[in-house]
Amino acid sequence: MDVLRVEGLTKRYPSFTLDHVSFSVPRGAIMGFIGRNGAGKSTTLKSVIGMVHPDEGRVLFMDRDASADERYMKENIGVVPGGIDFYPKKKLRAITRVTSRFYPNWDDAKYEHYCKMFSLDEEKRVDQLSSGMKVKYLIALALSHNAKLLIMDEPTSGLDPVSRDELTELFRAIVSDGTRSILFSTHITSDLEKCATHIAFIKDGALLHSGTVEEFRRAFSDHGNTLEEIIVSVERREWDEGAII
Amino acid sequence: MKALLYKQFRLVCHPMTVVFCFFGVMLLIPSYPYTVSFFYVTLGLFFTFTNQREQRDLYYMAILPVRKRDAVKGAVLFAGLIELASLVLSIPFAILSSRINPIGGNAVGLDANAALFAAGLLIYAVFNGVFLPALYQSGYKVGTAYLKAIIPTTLVIAVCESSAHIPALLWLNDTTAAGNIRQLPLLFGALILYIAVLALAYRTAAKRYEKVDL
Repeated sequence: MDVLRVEGLTKRYPSFTLDHVSFSVPRGAIMGFIGRNGAGKSTTLKSVIGMVHPDEGRVLFMDRDASADERYMKENIGVVPGGIDFYPKKKLRAITRVTSRFYPNWDDAKYEHYCKMFSLDEEKRVDQLSSGMKVKYLIALALSHNAKLLIMDEPTSGLDPVSRDELTELFRAIVSDGTRSILFSTHITSDLEKCATHIAFIKDGALLHSGTVEEFRRAFSDHGNTLEEIIVSVERREWDEGAII
Repeated sequence: MKALLYKQFRLVCHPMTVVFCFFGVMLLIPSYPYTVSFFYVTLGLFFTFTNQREQRDLYYMAILPVRKRDAVKGAVLFAGLIELASLVLSIPFAILSSRINPIGGNAVGLDANAALFAAGLLIYAVFNGVFLPALYQSGYKVGTAYLKAIIPTTLVIAVCESSAHIPALLWLNDTTAAGNIRQLPLLFGALILYIAVLALAYRTAAKRYEKVDL
């Protein structure tokens, strides 16, 4: 069963169009959403969670229309937005107290468990956390309200290799029981190699491919053997001789 | 709705917004334009809504299980609670002011009586009616929204304070019990207008914010 289905998502901006993007995230999968900067990854994810209004298309979460049943979807997903710090001067304790009130299935015991597991100090302010710890805090919030799907916009961007490795290992642990799924955007191919079971590849606002990692390798086998080789080969643009003047 | 208001007070409210709620103490100043205390409350709301933007509150709201119109409702109710609290907290100072200042003794404008509170509600109504829909057109242009709102609000303040100098309206300065009773219809009329404008401001702001892409 697919936990998330995106069908024909289209958003037109004056200088960019997200063009009929369709893909699905099966239950228990880690889908890496890849593409270079400006390809449309964040616009797609924002459209999925309702931050951006698509011109066409629809999003189905657990077979329910997300726009018609927004609350149901939001109660059952966790979101880690890219590059946005919420309430930077507030302590984690204060943010958690507020957040827990919005989720009927909030579990305090689980939250305490994940705080210990991630070594999160609730007395710290958001701006005292490292980038990796901020992601872990938002993951702790998501797991504490029993999110079925975690949507993350470039969660590993800007992290050192050790923190990235820790996070990708954490992703695998999160989906290990098959009840939760992860959709995360990235342009770091080594993260995909480590944890992704599925890949959706977007270029210039259009989805080139979505499916399992094996299907992706087969579909682009003439571009290279590793994911990095494939993506660089597909994305790379040759400069004209007269490009530098 | 309780969760939204709790969030607003715990994470978004600027400390000065609460401090300005107590500016009813200005009613004790002899011969002073008392409606200025209401202006400070609008300034406090400006601080909180600026804080809301700086804290990326609207983005956080967008990932919580809350409809966009409910995020607006929380903010509108917060503004209403702050404004009404400022009026309620001004009552003891108004009573004290009428005891220590001679009747009609405010040489500048309105005296501390029921008419002043009616003026307060009218001032807040004008402020809300412009500020909230203007703010939620973008969700982040707080300064522009405040500038748009404060111009008509200042005009209403000027009109209210000036009215106390018109001979036919001198009864608006009466701080006696009988004078206050005569002013009560004004107060109730202003309260109804205030509630109606707040509801309309919410509807317009929510409708506009639904169309905003974050």
